Amino acid sequence: MATATRRASQRLTLLILVLASITVLTLDYHGEARKVIDSARNDVRDVLSPIQRGISAALHPVGDVFAGAFHYGALVTENQRLQQQLGALQARLSEDEATQQSARRVLELSGLDFVQNVPTTPAEVISQPTSNFVYTLEIDRGSSSGIGDRMPVVAGRGLVGVVVDAGRTTAEVQLVTDHASSVAVSYGSGSSTGSAIAQGQGIREPLAVEEVSGPTPRVGEILSTSSTDGGAFPAGIPLGAVSSVRTSDGGLSTSVFARPLVDLTSLQYVSVLEWLPAP
Amino acid sequence: MTPSSSARFALVALLALVVQVGVLDQIVVLGAHPDVMIVLAASAGLVLGAERGATLGFFLGLVADLVLPSPYGLSALAYVFIAFGAGLLRQLPGDRDTRGVQAAACVAVSALGTVLYALLGGLIGQSGMLSGQLVYVTLVVTLGSVVLAVPSLATMRWVQRATERGEATYPVPSGGSAAR
Repeated sequence: MATATRRASQRLTLLILVLASITVLTLDYHGEARKVIDSARNDVRDVLSPIQRGISAALHPVGDVFAGAFHYGALVTENQRLQQQLGALQARLSEDEATQQSARRVLELSGLDFVQNVPTTPAEVISQPTSNFVYTLEIDRGSSSGIGDRMPVVAGRGLVGVVVDAGRTTAEVQLVTDHASSVAVSYGSGSSTGSAIAQGQGIREPLAVEEVSGPTPRVGEILSTSSTDGGAFPAGIPLGAVSSVRTSDGGLSTSVFARPLVDLTSLQYVSVLEWLPAP
Repeated sequence: MTPSSSARFALVALLALVVQVGVLDQIVVLGAHPDVMIVLAASAGLVLGAERGATLGFFLGLVADLVLPSPYGLSALAYVFIAFGAGLLRQLPGDRDTRGVQAAACVAVSALGTVLYALLGGLIGQSGMLSGQLVYVTLVVTLGSVVLAVPSLATMRWVQRATERGEATYPVPSGGSAAR
């Protein structure tokens, strides 16, 4: 009897909680409620951003120092005092290397030819994707620095993604590899130009190049943003290089894949283009 | 839940969120990172039982969803099922309360919970969650939960102690009612 009562109580609790969760999910798709939820999320991000900045700043050099010390470990057994001295030197060297690497990455942002005359805002990446399934980054600039939703984000060699949610002091950037990202691209030159859509397939997967119009792109060919989809991005930003072209069904269908030009797994600095698509 | 255990749970949820965002999100292996929130949801079910665990799982999910770009409420829904399922495991006959068994169950539930989370995401239109990357995500979350299970279970026991202390303050007379 007690067991039956307990099971009934458990089932009722489960039902109530599932219904509550579904209600919250439904509210997230509703215009006004979504604004409140987005606002709460932005506030939480703003509160957490100083912690993320601190940890991000601490982890970069420490990781390099640790790696340097680990690398040196084979010689250490011979002389402990020597190890300590060399370890300290190695740590300093790694710190210098980390600083130089950061400086190089910042300098790369100052020479973005493809940006042309569009004003840019430099930003630091303070968080890797918070979800294991949705690929977004967090940067340390938000609406207070003039960052807005739908602004393109670039790094040294090309397109990184687009701002999808700008808070006051931070912003969330959807990477081009996210499943929800699709970018109109063009390739080729002269009379053999084509256009396609580069669809994200996940952080470790190449971009799927779909809806190809024109000649099939060749391996190694550079895909750049085009303005044919209404101008979600300024034209001409390099996105990726074609990595493979596979033909199947007796030559009837061709699958094209491209690798992003920017290494999206180790971004430290990016530039936000102060450019918005036409409404 | 007593006010004391609610306060402890709120503290645990907030600290876990900071640890997740500040530290664990930066540890990216195979494109995925460990997930302390899912491990805590599993621990809540294993330590507090199906009903209380699911309730805490719901609130943990709401907190986790504050920093996730996925639809708000998805984690809450997944964590309810994860904690409830873990709580049902606890009711199975046999000696389930030894710490080693609990830790192993926590790891297993976290792994299954990751798959469940992706399936629920797929059901509500997040088709990207059901890609091949799910294998790597499950692997990394499972490995992470091997490290996180013991502290996570200990934390939930700390929350449980406050609950038990609160209940002991208001004993239910034999044959009477708990209503005050």
